[in-house]
Amino acid sequence: MSLPATALLTDERPVTLSGRDAYRDELTRLAASDDTIVCLEADLGGKGHPFQAAHPERFFNLGIAEGAMVDMAAGLAAGGHKPFVSTFAPFAALRAAESLKLTLGYLAAGVTVVAPYAGVSGAWFGTTHHCLEDLAILRSVPGVTIAAPYGDAEMRAVVREAVRSGRPHYIRTGRNATYESLPGVGAELPLVNWEFTAADPDAVCLVSVGEEGTRLALAARRAAPGTAHAHLVYLDHEHLTEAAAELARHHSRFVVVEEHRGQGGVAEALALLLPACQVTSVSANRSWPSQGGDHEEVMAALGLDLPAVLDALDRAATAAGHPTTR
Amino acid sequence: MTTAVREETRVGDDVTDLAALTDPVDLVATLTERAVRARRLVVDMAASPRGCHLGGSLSVLDILIAALHRAAGDDGTEVVLSKGHAAAGLYAALHVSGILPENPAPLYGLAGHPYTGHPGPKVPGVRFPTGSLGHGVPYAAGWALSQRIGGGNGLGIAVAGDGELQEGLVWETCQVAAAQELANFVLVVDRNGGQNDGMVADISPLPQLPQRFAAFGFDVVEVDGHDLRALTALLAEDRSTARRPLAVVADTVKGKGVRAVEGKPGCHYVTIDEARAAKWKRAIR
Repeated sequence: MSLPATALLTDERPVTLSGRDAYRDELTRLAASDDTIVCLEADLGGKGHPFQAAHPERFFNLGIAEGAMVDMAAGLAAGGHKPFVSTFAPFAALRAAESLKLTLGYLAAGVTVVAPYAGVSGAWFGTTHHCLEDLAILRSVPGVTIAAPYGDAEMRAVVREAVRSGRPHYIRTGRNATYESLPGVGAELPLVNWEFTAADPDAVCLVSVGEEGTRLALAARRAAPGTAHAHLVYLDHEHLTEAAAELARHHSRFVVVEEHRGQGGVAEALALLLPACQVTSVSANRSWPSQGGDHEEVMAALGLDLPAVLDALDRAATAAGHPTTR
Repeated sequence: MTTAVREETRVGDDVTDLAALTDPVDLVATLTERAVRARRLVVDMAASPRGCHLGGSLSVLDILIAALHRAAGDDGTEVVLSKGHAAAGLYAALHVSGILPENPAPLYGLAGHPYTGHPGPKVPGVRFPTGSLGHGVPYAAGWALSQRIGGGNGLGIAVAGDGELQEGLVWETCQVAAAQELANFVLVVDRNGGQNDGMVADISPLPQLPQRFAAFGFDVVEVDGHDLRALTALLAEDRSTARRPLAVVADTVKGKGVRAVEGKPGCHYVTIDEARAAKWKRAIR
């Protein structure tokens, strides 16, 4: 049984952009009618930033100074502005971690951090440009809304919500890959986007997180069409607590796919939130990739590929008394 | 820290309306009297069960009182104590300046009250949490940028310690502030020469400090950090036509006002008994 398609798209757009390009485009559009929005970059915004072209008086490339950028955003927010800061996830979540704790957490400042290059989307650039630890860090800071949108439409919806709410946000996305948005109608993102739910409550349910987690889950669904699939966008403790309750109303066995280490990731959180359920993690192992390759190849080296997802589904199905999902 | 409460607010026995003081001599006399009362409050906090960062709180007091006076002008100026360990000095300065109505000294460090060893925004008049060193400098720079974008004339004043300048975040922000020509950003350095483990000069010295700021693209002024006349004059300057941020290197004495500890690195963190506190307070002039 498939639940009714849920809301994702509010704008019909002919071109699907990567997560970070969709962010730039949407923020530029929103800033036209909200002059409190300020855009900060730390030398990694790339040339030709649309916000800079449209609103040069509110665009600041502060240079390679991530900590100063986040803290200055706190000052800007205190002065009545809505700062959006962006730099690669490893530099935002790790180098500027203390600033995130103080600005997003303790101060609860209306600052949004948009972090591309999350996971190993930096691939062959190497371990310095990988970020498999950001969810663990940010999820432990109270009060921060964490989002990992999949596709153009979700990113735009998340950015709109960050502007509307004025609450601290951390938004993780990839490099330049594009993903076709999940189907849906309506103005707001659902807590849980049920792409497909099986009638049998004992059926295994895939839970997809982020861009590559969702891509793999969709690929696994094609290989095992009867598999339920729930997609999550918001990953902070508060949202996950509510989402876990909804997940448990439909299923009791979950395979969570996420481009993050298992430790501190979403599967671990759901396992704690759903002690009566079975939660299996498909996530990055604990190695440090030291070889090149494209995004998919580096993920595979970490144990994050379609065979791993299908294997996890089989194991979960066997434990449920169903010999196979395929 | 906010300055929503103007200086005519009653402050203990002081009901002076500083806006009405047209004679600079009267203004300095009033601020000096505030500094004396603030120093006595800091000594009270050193006599609390938990003690306080006495030396740096006393060295920075005159700077804070002068900066708060500038901020009381209601032009959008914000003062950020970046050397947050001098919280006792900040609480005392806020109180004698009329921004913090209640006397923080009897409540300092106690459960149920916000007067912790490093300040946070639960304290009236404090906007940013500081104490992990370096962060207050970019907070103030961000505030200055916000003022500029919004067309305001207010300053973002960061008050940092000289030991604090060992933090990279400070220089990262100086780089940004100069590149952005953030002329309404003012960084005041409370150069008392000490840090937690001893003297700055012995641990990680900062030679040619004014020249360093100048090389970053700052306007630079050196001043006696206990000269309230000079400090208020400096901070009253109109910077609307300036192109460079301002660094004020203020030479101060660690433990200033308490002769027994002045200039001694051991006064960094002090816990004393009430009898000693009473003796020290009587001697503060």
